[in-house]
Amino acid sequence: MTKTTQTPAEPKAKGKGLTRRRFLQVLGGGAAVLAVGAVLGGPTLVREGRLAINRVFLTGSAPSSPPPKDPFVWFEINAANEATLYIPKVEMGQGIHTSLAQIAADELELDWQTVRVRQADASRGFDPQLIFTFGSTSITALYQPIREIAATMREMLRTEAAAQLGVAAADLTAANSTISNGSQAKTYGEIIAAKAGAWVIPEAAAPLKPDADFKLIGQSVKRVDLRDKVTGRAQYGFDMRAEGMVYGAVARPPRYGATLKASGEGDARSQPGVVDVILREGFAGVVASTRRAAQAALSHLDLTWEGGTTINQAEMEAMLTLPKEGGTLIQREGNVDGATGTVIEANYFTPMAVHAQMEPQAALADVKTDSALIHTSTQAPGLSQERIAAALKMDEAKVAVRAAYVGGGFGRKTGTDAAVEAALLSQAVGRPVMVGWSREEEMQQGYRRPPAANYFRATISEAGDITSVHHEMASGDVLFNPQVGASGGFLEVLLGTDPLAAYGGLIHYSLPAVRGIYHRMEIPVPTAYWRGLGSFPNTFAIESFIDELAVATQTDPFDLRLKYRPADDLGRRYELVLNAVREASGWGSAVPEGRARGLATCYDRGTVVGLVVEVSVNESEINVHEAWCAVDPGLVINPNGAAAQVEGSIIMGLSSTLIEQQTVENGMAVGNNFNTYPLLRISQAPRITVLPINSGDEPVGGMGEPVIGVVPAAVGNAVFALTGQRLRLLPLTLA
Amino acid sequence: MELRINGQTYTVASDAAEPLLWVLRDELGLTGTKYGCGLGICGSCTVHVDGEAMRSCSTPLSTVEGKAITTIEGLATVEADGTETLHPVQEAFIEEQVPQCAWCMSGQMMQAAAFLSNNPQPTEDEIIAAMNNNYCRCGCYTRIKTAVALAAEIAEERRA
Ligand code: FES
Ligand code: FES
Repeated sequence: MTKTTQTPAEPKAKGKGLTRRRFLQVLGGGAAVLAVGAVLGGPTLVREGRLAINRVFLTGSAPSSPPPKDPFVWFEINAANEATLYIPKVEMGQGIHTSLAQIAADELELDWQTVRVRQADASRGFDPQLIFTFGSTSITALYQPIREIAATMREMLRTEAAAQLGVAAADLTAANSTISNGSQAKTYGEIIAAKAGAWVIPEAAAPLKPDADFKLIGQSVKRVDLRDKVTGRAQYGFDMRAEGMVYGAVARPPRYGATLKASGEGDARSQPGVVDVILREGFAGVVASTRRAAQAALSHLDLTWEGGTTINQAEMEAMLTLPKEGGTLIQREGNVDGATGTVIEANYFTPMAVHAQMEPQAALADVKTDSALIHTSTQAPGLSQERIAAALKMDEAKVAVRAAYVGGGFGRKTGTDAAVEAALLSQAVGRPVMVGWSREEEMQQGYRRPPAANYFRATISEAGDITSVHHEMASGDVLFNPQVGASGGFLEVLLGTDPLAAYGGLIHYSLPAVRGIYHRMEIPVPTAYWRGLGSFPNTFAIESFIDELAVATQTDPFDLRLKYRPADDLGRRYELVLNAVREASGWGSAVPEGRARGLATCYDRGTVVGLVVEVSVNESEINVHEAWCAVDPGLVINPNGAAAQVEGSIIMGLSSTLIEQQTVENGMAVGNNFNTYPLLRISQAPRITVLPINSGDEPVGGMGEPVIGVVPAAVGNAVFALTGQRLRLLPLTLA
Repeated sequence: MELRINGQTYTVASDAAEPLLWVLRDELGLTGTKYGCGLGICGSCTVHVDGEAMRSCSTPLSTVEGKAITTIEGLATVEADGTETLHPVQEAFIEEQVPQCAWCMSGQMMQAAAFLSNNPQPTEDEIIAAMNNNYCRCGCYTRIKTAVALAAEIAEERRA
């Protein structure tokens, strides 16, 4: 099948995604409804407006900035015919530099052996907002644009080669970075070097190559960045160095929300290695010749902290108690109140957890009077630029942010604190300053996954059919927590939810009646983006409760999910995924003595997931031995890379399932390093079988997050099958 | 104080109590060795001292004076003409596409290399025990098991 595509004036609006314009239209529409509702004093209109607008947030993908159209901004080919591809997403281990380069190189017909990949940045004409790497959206957002840009360049080269060779373009073919007609050939490098005058970029994108001719797309191409990474040469934010640089450290509040009331230098300035002490309103920092000297001098400052919270764990959990009424309606199908049958209720709870990405936040800043250059481990160079410019009181255009390799993100590298601190300190001392957070700062002073509670009430008919599911969720914020510096302004009022905490809270099964209500809980502890956002707690709760309904209706968990699978194409994809994982896991066959299997499934960020795990228990310990995971993101670009994302999600999900929980005492997180907050180890890792399902001819879903939420549910369901204990609190703990 | 690192001699002025990790990274610019916890728990900072795996974050300079230190930058061999031959562990970690973010990987590979030099034909259980104090948050554990076993095979072939 040949695809020909024209570049429309506006990126095309697809059912599953949202262009920026459509996004604003929807927001505007919702705002109008809400405004009218408020004026008329009509709670019904407010409710309906919120339902519509939350629906958009919970089912659409976020808008993305338009990519540059000039192919030469993306692709450089030198006279020796070596290609450099500038990739506008951050490499944090998800292999995105490789998979996006694969897509480009395939369409541009590059010789893969000659391809080098570089991080794109604003200096090459890429909007920093485009580089924002989040939400497992990189491939779905860029697959089509990159192919179009690469195809356009391929056709420009073909046309130019025809002119240079004096032959008809139609007789020339592009392959292996060369254009030829069998008897005459020119490499891309030669064509570009010989080009006289400026290139003209055609208005319309060139035709894309037929899928059947893919050479790289769909192949397990090896990662382009691993040689540098296994030899220690790759540079991350924490590794950035500059001539004359010094190290910065910043004083931290003893309680969340505490502010610096008064500060004095104490004897910090006379400590060994100290270069300068910087005191500002609400800020105290030290710059020294070594990192340790800077950190050690902090305790010699004279600081008075004021206010803040003294919340402890029990109080915080009490704040998560689901209220009897109120909340914002986010899902409504059929009539839940009219449903009859046997009632089944359950409450689930997911605690706070940290990201524990192995590289803490880090940045190197070099701030001059009229310009600033910051190298940092960040998922969000655009947001970093905004915040740094604001802190320095400098024009944004003068602040250049360069994204380094990221040593693990998981949402945490959307934080900008280290970069802002390095910039402020550099501005104060007039030298490059490096700030790299300690593990203790990272675990206590960063933001974390919010705590969340879920409540369900379902009804089951005498015939054993599910007649309704009512679902309430309460969570700390992900998008709007003021402690993290985000303020939603009007959007907060408009939504009535924290949409990213509510993420994953929709029930996708075809049931006669479903209602979802979200309660926003503003807890005084900084919480924000953690891998999967609300998908982790919500999928844990929904998929565990679905298992409870399977038990209550005496239905096999696979059969129940197939019976109530979503309508239309999503249902077809559920079937593919469920059948694949059912067969691979040998579901229904004899399980080894002392073990049992559990299933969970979900639809998240366009991807359908089915996970079966096999567990055993040893006194109070839960062991997970095997995991089989089928994932369908539509077209899979790099199967082995996709498998790595699945494996990583299962391991990280298991760590939260079995071990992790961050608690708070006296207004401060308790776990501050791996002695008080351990992670899953290699001895606790199961064998993992990944089954990538290509259900379509284009990528429609993400890979980095959709698998994380099914993990606690599948394990909990397996533990129930084995022991009869239904565990509804994470980490799962046997009685 | 003189330090012998990757076959080269460095003179450092740092305090004898300073952890080796920060001297490597911040004094000598050998940033391949990574920081993860500073407590000897995560293994990110693992280097070799006289061939044994050590946590450089918890190793004061005074204890390594005069000893042969190898960091990830010195794990491969480089010929006089500049050709780099990866250590079997590095080769296996690429072959199995083990690293994700790779921040933990210098430590994983240094741990594995020291282990294999003491135990060239390990069982899977021995590999797991040897690697059990190296955290990987990206969750590369299943691949680490396979790759360490493969590294043992590669080393065996190279010896043959
Ligand atoms: S940094 Fe040394 S063991 Fe974690
Ligand atoms: S590869 Fe990222 S922590 Fe191991």
